[in-house]
Amino acid sequence: MSILEVKNLSAGYGKRLILEDISFEVNDGEICGIIGLNGSGKTTLIKGITNIIPHSGNAFIDGQDASLLSSNILASLCGFIPQKSGISIDLPVLDVVLMGFNPKLKLLQNPNSYMISKARAMIKTVGLEGRENDNFQKLSEGQKQLVLLARALASDSKILLMDELESYLDFKVRYKTMNLIKNLVKTNNMGALLSMHDINLALNTCDKLILIKDKKIADTIYPKTDLVADIEHKLSSIYGEVSVHKIKTDANHEQMVMLNRPEE
Amino acid sequence: MRPSTALASKHNSLLFVVFGALLCALFILSLFIGKYPLTIEGLISGSELQWRVFTTLRLSRVVVGLAGGFALGIAGFIFQTVFRNPLASPDIIGVSSGASAGAAAGILFFSSSIMVTLCAFGGALIAIVLAIAFSVIDRGGHKSTVVLAGIAVHAIAQTVLMCLKLVADPEKELASIEYWIMGSLNGINSHIIGSNLILCVVGLILLIMLHRQSILLSSSGDEAKMLGVDVTSMRLILLGLSTLVVSSIVSMTGLISFVGLLAPHCAKKLTGNNSVSTMILGGLIGSCILILADILARSVAATELPVSIFTSAIGAPFLVLLIFQGRKDT
Repeated sequence: MSILEVKNLSAGYGKRLILEDISFEVNDGEICGIIGLNGSGKTTLIKGITNIIPHSGNAFIDGQDASLLSSNILASLCGFIPQKSGISIDLPVLDVVLMGFNPKLKLLQNPNSYMISKARAMIKTVGLEGRENDNFQKLSEGQKQLVLLARALASDSKILLMDELESYLDFKVRYKTMNLIKNLVKTNNMGALLSMHDINLALNTCDKLILIKDKKIADTIYPKTDLVADIEHKLSSIYGEVSVHKIKTDANHEQMVMLNRPEE
Repeated sequence: MRPSTALASKHNSLLFVVFGALLCALFILSLFIGKYPLTIEGLISGSELQWRVFTTLRLSRVVVGLAGGFALGIAGFIFQTVFRNPLASPDIIGVSSGASAGAAAGILFFSSSIMVTLCAFGGALIAIVLAIAFSVIDRGGHKSTVVLAGIAVHAIAQTVLMCLKLVADPEKELASIEYWIMGSLNGINSHIIGSNLILCVVGLILLIMLHRQSILLSSSGDEAKMLGVDVTSMRLILLGLSTLVVSSIVSMTGLISFVGLLAPHCAKKLTGNNSVSTMILGGLIGSCILILADILARSVAATELPVSIFTSAIGAPFLVLLIFQGRKDT
């Protein structure tokens, strides 16, 4: 079943159109990556879907038109992780994660003990156990992203929307975090839409990749089923001369890598 | 409870005990300082004059000092959080000046104290709208922009004030306005504080209850929206309530500088976070600063001095320090 359905979405800033007539779906249990060059509109797509910027066309989240939803209902359906948090004051990590429960709380209500213990569990899940009382501002950018992930997971949303989550994470944490998202998405029948720069990570963890070029979806890659030659051809249309290889790791697992063809 | 949480909670409790005790001491001391000497013996013996001075003048004055400092501390916390700027406070962004100009208009055109309060609120609201509009012009988002916007708003409010003074009756209204601008708790009596205190207390209770919403607004607008906050409405509610509590005090006392900047910063330094207890601690510290400044205003010279002389003496260097700190951070 489709968790997110984007239909003919066009979005931009002022008179400048960044995306034109974008349509795609994300099904439950599916991780969908958005890839493209810098400035191609990956972040704009997420902002258009979540109604943050003006747009035409529709985005249906769990069957409901996002543009008709109140910010509270929209927030209860989407777990959103921005490229960088705008939190500007000293707050303990636990308080940042508890922000994720806001859609479930009334205006003057405070998080209850169940929410606090769930927030602690989410902090543990993202590997930051024991850091609950640390100042969020003093964490590294990568750790901050993990806290925001814990906040998005705490809210029991239908779809996770993540804007370059991996950009501040080191190599090891990047794969660990993606595997964690993968497990949570599968077990909770959620969907995930991620804008990504790390193609190798995207090829090895996403179920589907949307390639954005010249304001439109240039192609869609299904890494698990598409032929390597096809994937290479599609990625070359975005990144220029690249080669894609399937290699076997020590544990006999297959992984894909994209390499840049050196210029002659 | 985790050991570190328990420790933080113990630390906060200790801070509340210390500042609570300090506030009680200052409150009692302030009751017995002033032109007319009050003594415990005199009050116990039932001296009618002493009791009248105590209930009509002294107690009202100290209660307004307590409520005013608390309101400025809480409003400062909200302004800093909602504007996402450590330099924001009611006086820095020009809200107090707007309230002063509004109150002067109230003194000139109406006689009732409630109308003076309403005019002060109107002036403060116009000031906050102007400050937000001026801040938006700087797309660079520098932290000191809000200070520059405040200077502009302050200048406009001063111009309005000058015009009002020109048309004021020199015998009665001009003196009231002049006295008012200086900022003092002198002249507070039990007959004028009732409705203002009720407005102030109601506003403060609502602001404390809305603490969680103010924290959500400390993230960027997009992030807050995706956390389910109706960003524009909530900003308006929080800034409107903060402006209301500041106006309800400023319309009685006149301009009081820097308490709204100093108090929340001291509380945040002491607790290291922005929890609701830090917000309330900021209020307690604000009360301590204002009552102490009022005691000094009444006791260091033969004539009574404006309280802002003392609050500015600490506040102005602190503002410069914050601006330099901000420059280092960016």
